[in-house]
Amino acid sequence: MRTVDTLIVGASLAGAAAAKRNVDAGLETVILERKELPRHKICSGILSPRGHRFLIENFGPLPREALHEPTSCRGVTFHFPCLIPLSMDFFGGPTPHLHRRYSDHWAIKRSGAEVHDRTSFVGLEDHGDHVIVHARQSGNPVTYKARQVIGADGPSSLVIRSIYPDYPKQIPWFFVGQKFHDIVDCPLDPQYFHFWFHPQLGHYTWSHARDGRQIVGVGFKRGDNFEARHRQVKQYLEDKHQVRLARHEDEEGCAENFGPSLVNRYVFGKGNVLITGQATGFLNMIGEGMSCALHSGAIAGEAVVEARLRGRPVQEMYRRMIASEVRRTTDQWNPLKIAFGKPHEADFPQALMKLSWRERGLVLRDMWNFLLLYKEFKWGRQIAALAGQRLFSAGYSAQRWL
Amino acid sequence: MPRSQSTSERSTSSQQTNPSRWQGAGWPAFVSSLKDVAVIEDAPMRGTFATDAGGTSYGMPHGVVIARSAAQISALLKAAQAHRVPVTVRGGGLTTEGESVAFGGVLLDMTGMSKCLFIDPQKLEVRVEAGIFWASLAEHLRRQGMDYLSAPLNLTSSVGGTLGVGGIDVNSARFGCSADQALALQVVTPTGEIVECSDEANPELFRRVILGYGQFGVITEATLRIRRYTPIRMRYYYYASLRTAIEDLQMLDREQAADYTGILTMMDAAINLLVAFDSGEREAAFDAKWHSRVRGMGEAAFSARAFLSYLVRPWRWGEALFLRDRKRQLFPEFRRPEHTRDGKMEDRSVVFSRAVWKFWGGRQMVIPDLATSSAKFAEAVERGNAVCKRFFPRYTLYCVGIRLREEHRPHYEMSCIPPDAAGWAYGCEFEPMIGDGTWSRDHLQSFKNAIYDIGVEMGASYYRFGGMMKGYVRRVFGDPLVDRHLAMKRAADPAMILNRDVIF
Repeated sequence: MRTVDTLIVGASLAGAAAAKRNVDAGLETVILERKELPRHKICSGILSPRGHRFLIENFGPLPREALHEPTSCRGVTFHFPCLIPLSMDFFGGPTPHLHRRYSDHWAIKRSGAEVHDRTSFVGLEDHGDHVIVHARQSGNPVTYKARQVIGADGPSSLVIRSIYPDYPKQIPWFFVGQKFHDIVDCPLDPQYFHFWFHPQLGHYTWSHARDGRQIVGVGFKRGDNFEARHRQVKQYLEDKHQVRLARHEDEEGCAENFGPSLVNRYVFGKGNVLITGQATGFLNMIGEGMSCALHSGAIAGEAVVEARLRGRPVQEMYRRMIASEVRRTTDQWNPLKIAFGKPHEADFPQALMKLSWRERGLVLRDMWNFLLLYKEFKWGRQIAALAGQRLFSAGYSAQRWL
Repeated sequence: MPRSQSTSERSTSSQQTNPSRWQGAGWPAFVSSLKDVAVIEDAPMRGTFATDAGGTSYGMPHGVVIARSAAQISALLKAAQAHRVPVTVRGGGLTTEGESVAFGGVLLDMTGMSKCLFIDPQKLEVRVEAGIFWASLAEHLRRQGMDYLSAPLNLTSSVGGTLGVGGIDVNSARFGCSADQALALQVVTPTGEIVECSDEANPELFRRVILGYGQFGVITEATLRIRRYTPIRMRYYYYASLRTAIEDLQMLDREQAADYTGILTMMDAAINLLVAFDSGEREAAFDAKWHSRVRGMGEAAFSARAFLSYLVRPWRWGEALFLRDRKRQLFPEFRRPEHTRDGKMEDRSVVFSRAVWKFWGGRQMVIPDLATSSAKFAEAVERGNAVCKRFFPRYTLYCVGIRLREEHRPHYEMSCIPPDAAGWAYGCEFEPMIGDGTWSRDHLQSFKNAIYDIGVEMGASYYRFGGMMKGYVRRVFGDPLVDRHLAMKRAADPAMILNRDVIF
């Protein structure tokens, strides 16, 4: 049995950030990754400015192989049924278009932690002063003993299931999938990430350029048909935006835990087991999860170090320290903050104010109609209540976290 | 590789403010080569140096060396060069961004060299070992009725560390930054030579070591200029406007109306301009010529005004209660009877240093700052204040002028002194009141970035930077100047072992 200070499950960006904080502090840190590194990861690769800054400050400049073509993204363009486009540049200039296969591997290597790839997490037992983790390495059982475990294994986290077996039943699940098309003709600006507020197209519809091809992505409540949804969006792009694409060559998709960020229902773990990254439910408003993953991962790593030095329970430290990230992320979904603050990393109110009064009216009407698509999840009242509470407090209630 | 790409890569590589840990290659061979230098490797001792006063960066050295002599440090640095082992030098450990935290390698604890070697009251000089704290130096000097010129308000910082970064005091508008009082230094260079330097002897090394962020040598001894000790007469003026308070501060500095000046805020609507004098004559002259020109109010008038203002704004009563409580706790601290005689404050060093720890200290401290020319200062403070408001409910601003010495211009190159400042530079510290709270490092880093970004936009500098400097140095000073200093650093420290990642 291998004994370590900290065991991190998932060689993701969150895992790399958590590992860096632990390694810097001189803690023996091992990362488990079920695939062989470098591994593929489904992702748009569009990083927010805050995430970009974090990468540079903690891991240094990105190598070229960690980037797709186009290597950067200037911002986001929103599209509506009224066909009025709304383009917004990211604050602070373009951000990198990450090739997750290589960017994640690069960050993991830069963290200085020891990585055990082809090692799948199976389960854990928290004994109060240490955690026993069971895993399978290339099919053979292996056991680790760690003071703390950090689960950074994404939305379908096995670490969460090991401590909260019912959690997956408590939240709505979505499916996001993207198909890669050769381009015949595409007037969409390749420097921007394009997003559609269109209730007929689905809960989350996007498109952007990558390595000479065009991605068409759709997100919807689990149970719907990826093929049909995608066909509908492709046809819409052709009809309304004159985007002509060849038949797709590759496709990919995964489950998405969209929702916890909106209603402040994050899951941060139990006892000596911390949950971080997108597994917690952190997701920015444009569906970007990498910057939250990096920051929350780093905070999980800091919490482990702080807890040791202060002799305090690690959950207490983590929950105190993660409050700033919760505030930053949930503010992005808070309608009062959107209207009167600047919670996002591109200036939506300014872009809106550049339109005529009539156009603003049409855009807001379309956004409202789009939001009605989410009515079935009954998040509206919770969001309104959170926005009201936020007026009188510096953050969001920790009572709602798991 | 095209030139522009190389510049851009250089620029982003320098922005890695959280350095990678040195992994210990060749450590055993390095330790065994150090026959006469004791390297402490047990974990509890190393753990003592896990963080600095900032409490947000954590590292762990492979070993700790307690400084004993210049010869010992010389042997250590020679071996470190040969084995390419990083050496991080720590005095009082009062950095806030991990500059005195060792991310692997050797932590050299300078507090082992903390003697006051001699005081010469006739020549007004003192010679000390560089690990001495200002508080200890003050004790030695007071016994002979002497005082240093200026020192950081936090007196548990070391002399060597202060000379390396700057240091400010409420009399810096008169005497300059603390580093400017150094007359001569004994320095161990990164390759292990023991060199005495001053404006006359080895002046180039003297210029690089003063305000050099520990890049060009370890200061082991320092000769400082001193003066006769005097108790001081304090005055306080209160303002509701930052800009007005700053304009008055600059007017008083420009006309040298007082011996001590500084701004300390409780909130951005409750601003205190501190004015003090070394003698009754200076105070009388101030009353005759400048008192009427100062637009600040007295304590009673300001309290009455604030009371009326809050009375009609019930939604701000939380602020009013904070101000009342803060005033009740803070004001008596500056008027403690044991430190007051005949209306004069006896030993401001003790009073201020005590108050700093008591009211602004904490387990985590983050104090980003901006240093600008006089003309840009009010705008920089107002913009920084807006950033503070966005990040923290309560914070303090501390502003002082820094008198520049024209003959020391070469010292100031690529330092805390902004290149466009003439006569005086002005510095403002932005300090959130964290108290017992716990913030994530990334929240604090975002706050610091927002302050430092103002500096980049305005062409300012920073008077106590370090960790942040690596991230901003090229954006602040430009590639040609930084590359010139980098070339000097490479020549002086071929293995780049000394205080790695602070600037380069």
